[in-house]
Amino acid sequence: MALILLPLVLSLVAWLLPSAQTRLFGLIASALSLAWSIVAVCYFKPTDHLLVDFGLRFIRFSIDSLGFTMILLTNAVFFLVFLSQFTSNITQEKRFTALALLMQFGLVGVFTTNTILGFYIFWELTLLPIFLILYWFGSFEKPRALLQFFLYTILGSLAMLLAVIGLMHATNQQTYEGLLVADLNALGNTSTLLMGGFLFAFAVKIPLFPFHTWQAETYTKAPTAGTMLLSAIMLKMALFGLLKWVLPIFDGVATDFWRWPIISLGLIGVVYGAIIAIRQRDIKTLFAYASLSHLGLIAAALMLNDFDTNQIAVVQIVNHSIVSIGLFLAAGIIELRLQTRNIEELGGIAKVAPRFAFWFAVLTFVSLSVPFTAGFIGEFFLIKALFSAHALTGFIASTTLVLGAVYMLRAYQAPMFGPTKIAAFADLHWSELIVFAILSVAAIYLGLAPQCLTDFVAQSLTQPTH
Amino acid sequence: MDSIVILFISGLLGLFAGMSKKPVASLFIASFGLIGAGLAAYYRGSYNSPFSSYAAFVPTQGIVIILLCAVTLLALLGGFKRYKNDDEHTGDYFGLILFSLCGAILMAQPGDLMLFFIGLEILSIPIYVLVGIDKGSSTYAEAAVKYFFTGSFASAILLFGIALLYGATGSFQLIEIQSNLAIGIWQSPMAMIGSLFILAGFIFKIGAVPFHFWGPDVYAGASNAVLMYMSTVVKIAGIYGLINVFGQVFRDSYFFWIDLISLLIVISMFYGYITAWKQTNFRRLIAFSSIANAGLMLFALADIHNSNIFLFVGAYALATIALVVINLAVNDDSDALANWEGIAWKNPMIGIALVIALFSLAGIPPFAGFFGKFSLLWSATPHVPYTAILALIASVIGAFVYLRLLILALKRPKVQVRMQLSIEQMIVLLLTSIASIGAIYFI
Repeated sequence: MALILLPLVLSLVAWLLPSAQTRLFGLIASALSLAWSIVAVCYFKPTDHLLVDFGLRFIRFSIDSLGFTMILLTNAVFFLVFLSQFTSNITQEKRFTALALLMQFGLVGVFTTNTILGFYIFWELTLLPIFLILYWFGSFEKPRALLQFFLYTILGSLAMLLAVIGLMHATNQQTYEGLLVADLNALGNTSTLLMGGFLFAFAVKIPLFPFHTWQAETYTKAPTAGTMLLSAIMLKMALFGLLKWVLPIFDGVATDFWRWPIISLGLIGVVYGAIIAIRQRDIKTLFAYASLSHLGLIAAALMLNDFDTNQIAVVQIVNHSIVSIGLFLAAGIIELRLQTRNIEELGGIAKVAPRFAFWFAVLTFVSLSVPFTAGFIGEFFLIKALFSAHALTGFIASTTLVLGAVYMLRAYQAPMFGPTKIAAFADLHWSELIVFAILSVAAIYLGLAPQCLTDFVAQSLTQPTH
Repeated sequence: MDSIVILFISGLLGLFAGMSKKPVASLFIASFGLIGAGLAAYYRGSYNSPFSSYAAFVPTQGIVIILLCAVTLLALLGGFKRYKNDDEHTGDYFGLILFSLCGAILMAQPGDLMLFFIGLEILSIPIYVLVGIDKGSSTYAEAAVKYFFTGSFASAILLFGIALLYGATGSFQLIEIQSNLAIGIWQSPMAMIGSLFILAGFIFKIGAVPFHFWGPDVYAGASNAVLMYMSTVVKIAGIYGLINVFGQVFRDSYFFWIDLISLLIVISMFYGYITAWKQTNFRRLIAFSSIANAGLMLFALADIHNSNIFLFVGAYALATIALVVINLAVNDDSDALANWEGIAWKNPMIGIALVIALFSLAGIPPFAGFFGKFSLLWSATPHVPYTAILALIASVIGAFVYLRLLILALKRPKVQVRMQLSIEQMIVLLLTSIASIGAIYFI
């Protein structure tokens, strides 16, 4: 119970504290949540379900091992965001700290709720804080880009709301377990439509290819902390929803109908995102499109709904969080110190800031899926699964390795080792250094021993019946 | 009945207390009357959760009265700053509002069409007066005259419908009319035209398309304080009356009017939200938003046996009152939307209440507006699925109207000016915010 409510309480405390203590409070609060979840996970048996009930009719919680993984990931991401932004102005702001903690509460709710309506409610709850964070701290000169992001999100959410109402009416069930045993195949085309509603909401959040147009501009204009929160954890809600809710519940007619459309869109995203990323000059936009490319691969592989692939997808979800925090932090550091994100104006940073160059390189290699990093495990097995589905899908998916190398090395090589174009560059602050070190260690540990994660989540992933 | 008596007596006392030119005294008497009426209703009827009462025929009596009294109390408190400026007439304002509320209660729970019509007139006539009570201003006079003429016209149509229905069935009692219609009379042209005329009268009262034209002009012409009362209580009473009359009397001709209602829902929502998008005047924006919300309220008719309107109208009233109170506090003179720029920074209470109210109106969880919309759609979707889909698409436009207002209000000003709210405004904003969040415990 405390696991779920702690961020909410801390968020309320953050409003009441004097502004001078906000910076430290944010860090301590997020560290407290993380420590609490680590302690809780030590006492947690992977086969268990932790039931939490606040007496609400439509919202109940049940934490299984997948949920615990996501809670840990959420709390770790928030801790790293607060730590990495320790020197920036944004953590001084009371509003940012309180809203970020509120968002953390929403995310933990999404990952632990046991009812389909609860899933929707928490899904939407995260919208309020991120809207305010983007609006207050981003550099949106005109609200148009922000409104576009919200147009897409709200449209997707309302499609999901209709699907939730339809699903609850059709099955007369509202809990996860109840929906699992409900026979949706008997509904025929209705179940396909209902799944379409969910998939639309998820496609906007992941994002999949034709629904991604909000992403690049929102990422670019958002503050570094906002971008990290969005890409590292908020968009994972959609993949989590796909993995935990939609695929097991709609297993059968509906999944068979949507499998190839979604895989195609995911793979188009993989290639399209990578090609656009190659042409980008703005380093943050480049990483945004790289994110589109990587997430398209995960979504495509998830649609295969294969037990082993689903476990690996969790590894890749965690890996993508690590990579996106690291890369957007690096972009943020460059922007903060040089007031530019244009690759062509950067060069020779490695000479003046060797520590930054080293850790940025590590994260770049993780993103490139070099063996012994989590990225390798993730991408290798996902591409292998797509190959076993069809040779062509596997081939298209594997282009991500080559194209990824092109844009990542370009983003790294020119600013770091190109001809010197910058005057001065302060090397990493200790807080940033710790963040990079934690990320790198986590990525390499997961790359060497992925079974610690896959075995843990395997307990709560349901075996597909077909 | 107890509630109506209490309200009437406290309204009378309020009129006399107004002579002492002490606005606070009038406020206390009115508040005690409202609380007493609410308590009387509470001990007469019990409240069922909208989800647990699947077999409920009509909403429980008591809860409607409590809702109406609570909303009126908030409206009185919120508008007190305005009422007390005019200390010669404070008692008149409160008396008129309480008398009008008696009519609202009669109208919301009719058992008899004659009594219902009387309730409607008791509700309406004080509001015509309230709109134009500031005799010096020409805009108020214009709004009052416009409201009076269109309102009388709608009353006449409604009365004509009642007469036709009486001709078809030979009774004013809702139960008798229902049993007469059920044996097949509902197919007679007289009864059908009568039902449509009665519907037209109701649509006018709640301000949905196609009888919405009075809304923007009257809302823009009325003062903020009166707007708080008439944009909420009139709609709540109207929609409850509509549900009771249609749910009881016309349930046999359900398939005759439900397509018409669906059409009205869709047109009202699209029209209201699209037109609200380009407004530059706050009260006109509220008027168009209320047209769209009236369309949403009509969803309650889709499932006449299980109309879960309570949460929705409650959430709508809370959010509207919060917004109008904020408008009254910061922008009472000009009403231009441009003055809303950066107002969230003037006072933290305004900022919080504003964010909650706008998100609640936009229907985003975990605020009351979402649960209201959800409970409406929950019962309506199996009956009118395509209307529900179109309504959700319209809600996206609506969300944008409110987000645009939010963005305007949250814009960081160059120079921060702090402002103080009066104590009763603080109370109203606090109560509406808490209630909007606390609605999660009512589902």
